[in-house]
Order: sequence, then C-alpha cells, then structure tokens
Amino acid sequence: MSVKYVPVQWNMNKWLYDAVLIAFVVIYIIVFLRLGAPQADFTRPTDGQIVRMRAFGSCAFLMLTVILCIGPLARLDRRFLPLLYNRRHFGVLTTIVAFTHATYVYGWYYNFTPMARYEAMIASNTSFGQILGFPIEPFGIFALFVLAVLAATSHDFWLSFLTAPVWKRLHLLIYPAYIALVLHVALGYLQDTKNPTFAILFASGALLVAILHVAAWRQDRLRSADSEWIDLGPPSEIPENRARIIQLRGNERAAIFRYDGKLSAVSNACAHQNGPLGEGRIIDGCITCPWHGFQYRMADGRSPEPFTETIPTYALRWNGDRVELNRNANLPGTYVDPLRLSEGSQ
Amino acid sequence: MAAMILLTGQIYLAVGALVALPFLVVGLGRIDENAQNTWVFRPMLIPGVLLIWPLVLWRWIVLETGRADEPARHRPPLTWQPRLTLTLAVLLPFLIFAALVIRQDGPFERPAVQLEDGL
Repeated sequence: MSVKYVPVQWNMNKWLYDAVLIAFVVIYIIVFLRLGAPQADFTRPTDGQIVRMRAFGSCAFLMLTVILCIGPLARLDRRFLPLLYNRRHFGVLTTIVAFTHATYVYGWYYNFTPMARYEAMIASNTSFGQILGFPIEPFGIFALFVLAVLAATSHDFWLSFLTAPVWKRLHLLIYPAYIALVLHVALGYLQDTKNPTFAILFASGALLVAILHVAAWRQDRLRSADSEWIDLGPPSEIPENRARIIQLRGNERAAIFRYDGKLSAVSNACAHQNGPLGEGRIIDGCITCPWHGFQYRMADGRSPEPFTETIPTYALRWNGDRVELNRNANLPGTYVDPLRLSEGSQ
Repeated sequence: MAAMILLTGQIYLAVGALVALPFLVVGLGRIDENAQNTWVFRPMLIPGVLLIWPLVLWRWIVLETGRADEPARHRPPLTWQPRLTLTLAVLLPFLIFAALVIRQDGPFERPAVQLEDGL
C-alpha cells in the first residue's frame, strides 16, 4: 500500500475545520482592535501598533491553549475526536499568528536602533538578575522557534521519515514552548495591573490546560490497572462496525472492534504512520485507518493480499457477561479466534 | 554576544540550506518510495530541513545504509509523556500564582496636558 505525498491533504471536513479557524482568528482580531481602539489615542502610551501586537499575541496564546486542550479532551470524551484530526493545520495557523505578533514587536520596539534590529532584540534587555523586568524576549523567541519547527515538520512526510517515536518526541517540545510562552506573558503583559480581564482570561486558559492534563492522566491510569486481563465491560458499549479504544501500558493502546456478532482486538496504531485505527470503521470486511485508508483483517491484523502490513492482535475472553482483554500483545499478524457475542450473556 | 548568537544562527541555517538541496533533489526519492516522482510537495519541506538538518542527516544516513530499525517505527511512542504533561500541570499554576504575587501597581500615566497650558 502506498500513498504518494501531496502538498496538503484536503477533504470537506478539513476545509470546514480550517474555515472555522480562520473565521475565528479574523473575528478575534477585529473585536480586539475595536475594543482596544479607545486605549490607543495619542494621549496614552499605548498606540495602534501596540494594540495590534497584543491582539495577535493574545490570539496566538489562546490558540495554543486550545490546541493543548484538544488532546486530553479527546481522551476524556470521544465527541472531541473530530477536533484532533486536523490539529496540525491548527498548529500551522497558530504559528502564522505568532509570527505576525513578533513582526509587529520587531518593527516597533526595535526600529531606529543604532545596531541591527535582530541584535537589538536580543541585547536590549539583559536584566537577568531580577524577576521584575526579567527579559521576556528569550521566552518568546524560544516559543516561536519551537512553533516554527513543529509547523515546518507537520507534513506527513516527516512522520514517515523520522518515524512516529522520533516525530512524537520532537513535537513534545510544545510543552516547554507553552511554559516559555506562559513566562513570556506572566513576566510581561500580565504585570500590567490595569487590565484584570486579560489576567483572568490568561490564568483561566493556562489552568484549564493543567486541569485537563491531570484529568486525562487520571482516567488513563484508572483504565490500565495492574492485571493481565483488563475488564472492558459489556460488549453492548461498542457500536457495530466500530471500536472502543483502551489504554494499556505507557502509550500502548488497543482497539476492540465489534462486527458480524463478533469481537476482535488489535493494536490501535496503524503500521503505516501510527494512525488511530480504533477511530476508523470496518469497510469491505477490514479495519480501515482513518488517516490514509490502510486496511487490516480483524482476526489476524494482516492487510489483505497483495499487501503485507501487519499489526499486533490481542486475546479476548468472557467473564460472565463482561468482556476481558489480555494486555500482552501477540506478535503482529497472529490469528486470534474472534469472541462470539452469542457465547456470552449479551 | 548578541552578534555571536545571530552569526551562529545564520551559519546553522546556511548549513541547513546546503543539506536541503541534495536531500530534496536526490535523497528523498531514494529513501522514500512515496516521494518518488512527486515534486510539488518538496519545496514545503525546505523550512523543516533548514531547522532540523542534523536530524535529517542522521535519518538519511541510517536509511541509505540500511541500518534502520524498522520494528522501532511501530513501538508505542513514549512512556514518559505522562510525566512530562504532569510536570506541565504542576508548573503552570505555580508560575501564574508567582507572577500574580509579584505584580505591582503603576506606573500610571498622567493625563495629557496641552503644552501651552502646562507650561
């Protein structure tokens, strides 16, 4: 199976997703500029250029906050999964908004300096020995650099070329970048005590990120209790021709599919690019990856011939009217007898 | 110091450009069958190569020499991600609380005064 690379993989849902995102950014900037306009007359130290940089800066922070909320939200409630599918476009747009903010800062605060402007950006504040007035520029530059790296490596090619584990490690830089961004704002604009609204919104957003990550971690931990067989509950909880995803050790996940009065369990990670198989459907008698359409048979985790991809499978058993899964994965492509629903109480 | 940092950055990007040219023109098609005879998406990879060219060189060499550990591609990505996210969850409230504590009032700007009135 192969999928030739294209610049951007579009479909109707992605068009809609991106249209909503762009509309949000445009509306946010317009509203911010309208509300900020009265503060930007010539009698005040804030002018139009500063209001614009604050509009784009706060928009980028808000967007990154939402991006970091999507992952844990999707783990806590499947209804948020559609937000996850196009998160890479969300990240690229956030990077563009952040760069616009940086361009305003660069073009305003560092204009007319006797040295080169980029040099001035780094060298103008060197008060590293104090907290109040601590240089916030390095935090912003670091966060912007990370956003640029993540946006530049968001194409499918990078996932395949670097391999999912390396790509994932690289993209976890988003966490230190978010910390840097919080410091950038906390030691910068948050110190402006004249704007409590912004302080409340900023603190709420960052705290929401923290709370959702703790909640998702707790749920994952509860689901992966330490026994060889994991209780999945009654099979009626799994919709026909769809799967339920459960967390195993570390980041390992299994997908339990219900089809034709049977249940089978396979790894949730597609052999192609680790796409989430459990979010796909059964099409033409095969599990179909929602990312690129790679297909696998449910009972043995093998792609239909002539293709050769394989994924690990898992054993299932009945415990009364409840289904249990053995957490030890079989070798990729191992046949496992499907669990027949007629043999249980359901 | 600032000039040195900038110069280092410029040299890093220049080396990235030197890596990008042969990688995108020749290397890509040799190591990834999905990239063969596809040219439109290649310019999109330039920023990525400029920024992470050491990683690109490493993967390119590994794939060209056939030393790639293919099963590693399918291993669960990270076991320590939960620790990283929990660190984030602990740090965020602490940083925000600390930043709010050190906030000071002012300086407040004085109202504007016409020059001829104020003088």
